[in-house]
Amino acid sequence: MLTVMRTAAAGLAVLLAAGCAAPAPPRSQASAAAGTACARAQAPPEAETATTIDVIGQAYFCILGDYYSGATLDARSLLTAGFAALTREINRHGREVPEAIMPALTGDRKADWAAFASAYRKITDRVPDLRDRLAVVTLEAIVAALGDDHARWTHDLKRPLDYYDGDDYGLGLETNVTGSQMDGDSGVALAPLFVTAVLGGAARAAGLRPGDIVEAVNGSAPFVDGEATPAIGALYPRYPDARPVEVRLLRESTGRRWSVTLKPALYPRDLAALQVVRSKLLDDDVAYVRMTGFSPDSANRVLRAISRLRSGRTLSGVVLDLRGNGGGSPTEANRLLGAFVHGKVTAYQCTAGGACEAGRTDDTVELLGLPLVVLTDRGCASACEHFSSAVKDLHLGRLVGTRTAGAISGPAQAYLLGNNTVLVFPARHHLGPNREVIDRIGVPPDYHVAPTPKDAAAGRDPALARALTLLRE
Amino acid sequence: MRDPLKQPMRPIVAAAAALAALAASACSAPAPPRAAAASTAPAGPATLPAPTGGGAVGTTALYLKDTSRPDPWNLDVQARELKVTLWYPAERRDGRRAPYMTPKESELTLKGLGVTGAPYDMLSRTRTNAVKDAEPVGQGLPLVVLSPGFTEPVSTLTSLAEDLASRGYVVAGIDHTYENYATTLSDGRVAECLACDSDTDPGFGAGVVKSRAADVSFVLDRLTSEWDGADLIDRGRIAMVGQSIGGAAALATMVEDSRVRAGIDLDGTTYARIPKKGLSRPFMFVGSPQHASGGLDNSWDRDWRLLTGWKRWLVVSGAEHRSFTDAPLLSDALGVTSPAGVLPGARAAELDRTYVAAFLDLQLKGRRQPVLDGPSARYPEVRFCPATCAQS
Repeated sequence: MLTVMRTAAAGLAVLLAAGCAAPAPPRSQASAAAGTACARAQAPPEAETATTIDVIGQAYFCILGDYYSGATLDARSLLTAGFAALTREINRHGREVPEAIMPALTGDRKADWAAFASAYRKITDRVPDLRDRLAVVTLEAIVAALGDDHARWTHDLKRPLDYYDGDDYGLGLETNVTGSQMDGDSGVALAPLFVTAVLGGAARAAGLRPGDIVEAVNGSAPFVDGEATPAIGALYPRYPDARPVEVRLLRESTGRRWSVTLKPALYPRDLAALQVVRSKLLDDDVAYVRMTGFSPDSANRVLRAISRLRSGRTLSGVVLDLRGNGGGSPTEANRLLGAFVHGKVTAYQCTAGGACEAGRTDDTVELLGLPLVVLTDRGCASACEHFSSAVKDLHLGRLVGTRTAGAISGPAQAYLLGNNTVLVFPARHHLGPNREVIDRIGVPPDYHVAPTPKDAAAGRDPALARALTLLRE
Repeated sequence: MRDPLKQPMRPIVAAAAALAALAASACSAPAPPRAAAASTAPAGPATLPAPTGGGAVGTTALYLKDTSRPDPWNLDVQARELKVTLWYPAERRDGRRAPYMTPKESELTLKGLGVTGAPYDMLSRTRTNAVKDAEPVGQGLPLVVLSPGFTEPVSTLTSLAEDLASRGYVVAGIDHTYENYATTLSDGRVAECLACDSDTDPGFGAGVVKSRAADVSFVLDRLTSEWDGADLIDRGRIAMVGQSIGGAAALATMVEDSRVRAGIDLDGTTYARIPKKGLSRPFMFVGSPQHASGGLDNSWDRDWRLLTGWKRWLVVSGAEHRSFTDAPLLSDALGVTSPAGVLPGARAAELDRTYVAAFLDLQLKGRRQPVLDGPSARYPEVRFCPATCAQS
C-alpha cells in the first residue's frame, strides 16, 4: 500500500526515496485494467508531456472505471470541483473569461464529460498562455475531490540536480505535529508544538534539539485556542519551496528563548538511520525491532533480526516499533502477522458495493511464540495500520503509544496517463479484520502514552518503557 | 543482473508502481529483459569471444580478509572477506580453461535472476579463454580493478577482463561478498545476496558504493603482498571500471582513494558525493540511451559539472543496461530472447571492449585514441554527450 504520510521528510524526498527504491509491479497485476480508460503503470514512463483536456478526460474515466467507488460516485462532483479550480486559477492570474460558466450536467457521465470538455476548450482558448497551468489545476482538483488519502496525481516530478540518494529536503526537523496532520489527513494535533527529532540540515546547523518548544513559526502562533494553525505547515516545505522559515524557540530546561531562520534545502540523512529494519537486544531478553516501512522483504528482515537476537538466549518478548512507519505492502503485513497467528483474516479489500476480498496471514511463516508489544503513533499509516489493526483485533499483542494515522483508504494502484504522468488511487477500500473502517479513524493503542517535550529533551522514551514493563508483567 | 534499485523479479504490491515507474527511470537504467517472459529453446553453453589483444591470458583467484572492519551485510561476521579474480598476461596459452563459475554459483545466480529456460548449471559450462593459474608474464603492467553490477558476480565481466589482460593489463575483479547471488568463499561456503534484503532502503546505493570503495582500497593495499605475480604491477598506473553500481563504485573509489588514477562507469546511476572542488582525474561515463543527458536520472548530469579533468560521456544506441556485461553473450545459452532493436551480444562486446580499452590505453599508457575524440564511422552507435545526445 502506498505510503501517503508526509512527515518532516517532505514530499520530494519521500517520493524520490520511495520511488527510487520501489520495484516494478508484479506481472500478474501488470495487465491493462480491463475496460477502462487507463492502463496500470508498469514500465518506466517516457518524458512527461503537457497535460491536455484529453489527459484530464482519460483520468476522469479512469477514476470512474477503476476507483473503488467509481461505479457509484456522483461524477458531477468531480467535474464541478475541476471547473471551480479552473475558474479560480484564471482569476488568480488577474484574468477573467466571460464564458467561464459551468455547463449544466445531467448525470450522464459521458454526456457530462462532453459538455465539460467543450466548455473547457472554449475557455482555455481565450487564455492560451495559461493553458498548461489550467490543465494542471483542473486535474489536481478532480483527484482531490475524491478526498482520498491514497489518491494522487504525480506530475512535473523534478528533483534538484544536486540530489543524492538518501537525501531529504526541508528544514531537517520533525515535530509532534506531522506534515500530514497539517494536510488534515490524520489525527488531532496537540499543543505545545515541539521538536521530536533533528534529522540534519538547517535544524542541526542551528543547534535545535529534541524537546525544544516551537513558540512561533514565521511570527504566527502554532496553536490558537488549542487548534493547530496553518503556520505549522511552513515547517515542512517541499521542493522547490526554498523560502526561509523563522522559528521562535523555547528550551524549557534553561529557559532560553531565541529565534532562528531556517532555510529549506537538501541535506544528507544518516545512512544507518534510513535502514528500514533495525534491531537490538534490550534488557538482555527483549528483541527490539524498529521498522519504518513495509517495503519488499521487510517482514523477512524483521523475522531474521528476531531470530538472530534469539540465538543462544531465551527471549521474553518482542517490541516492534512502528512509530513513523509509513506503510508499504499488504503482503509484507500479512507475512509478518503470520509469525504471530495462522489461519486468520487480517483485512478486507472491498468495492463500494460491498464485494470484499479477504487478506490472510501468511501461514508459511513459522510462529514465533513470543509476547508482542507494538509501538504506534500518528506516523503509523496505511499497511502499518493494516498490521496494527490485525494485532489488536486478533489479540496478537498489545499496542502502546498513540492512535495511528487513519490513512488507509485502500491499496493504491498506479495508472499511466497519456502524457506519461501517473494517477494513483485505490481500486479497493480497506477494512479491518472485523470489517471495520480504519481509514480516517485509525487504530487506538491499548495503552495511551503520548510524547512530551520533557521526555524528548531528556532522551526518554516512555512508550518503550511501558512496553518493556508490559512484557515483564 | 539488475540495477540495484529495481526488482523486476519480485512480486510486490502494485501500490508502489507509480513511484516505481517514475523512479525506475529516475534512478537507474532500463529493466533487464524479462528472462522468464520470452524463452526459446536454449542452444548449448556459450563461448566467450576470443580476446583481441593477441596475448595469452591467465586467471587465478585470491581470497583476502580485512579484519579491520566488520562485514557490512552479515552482522555475525567480524571481518570482510573478499574473493578477487585476477586476469593477467600469461606465458603460454595451453592449459585448462578456467571455469566461468561453479555449478552451484550458476544455479543460485539463475534462480536469483528467475531464469528458468536453461539447466541450472548452464553458466558454469560457459567456455572462457583464460588458462587457470597460468604463469604470469610481463612487468610494469597497469592494473584495472573491475566491479560488477548489483546481484552479479564479477564473472559477468569476464569477456571484458580477458580482453584487457590480452592487451597487457592486470585485471583484479572483485566479488563484493553478499552483494551478489553467489560467491564461493575460501572455505567453500557460498555467500548469497544478503544485501538484496535491503536494496529498497533509501540511501542503499550510497551505502553500497561507500562499502565498495573500502573493498577496493583494501584490495589495493593487499594485492602486492598477497599475489605471487604482484611484481608485474605498476602501482602508479591503476584504473577502475565497473558496471551499474560497480560503475558508481568506481567513481566513489576515486573520490576516496587517489591511487586510482582513472575510472569508467558503465551505465551505473551514481551515488558518491564528489567534493565541491571537483574531481580532476580522468573519468568516462558509458551508458545506454537511458543515461543520455537530460534524462530522468540526473546523476550523471550532476556529476559531470564536478568532473574537472579529462572526461567523456558516451551513450550507445541500442544498448541496454546489461549490454556492458557478458549477459548478451549468454542469452542464447540461457534461452533468453532480447527485445528487438537491442545490440546483439557480439557487437555489444566489441563496443564495450573497444571503448574501455581505448580509455585505459590513453589514460594509463599514454597512447592517443582517436575514437575518444568524437563520433567514429566504425562505431556509429556511440554518441558523445552532453553535446550531441540530449533527450528530446
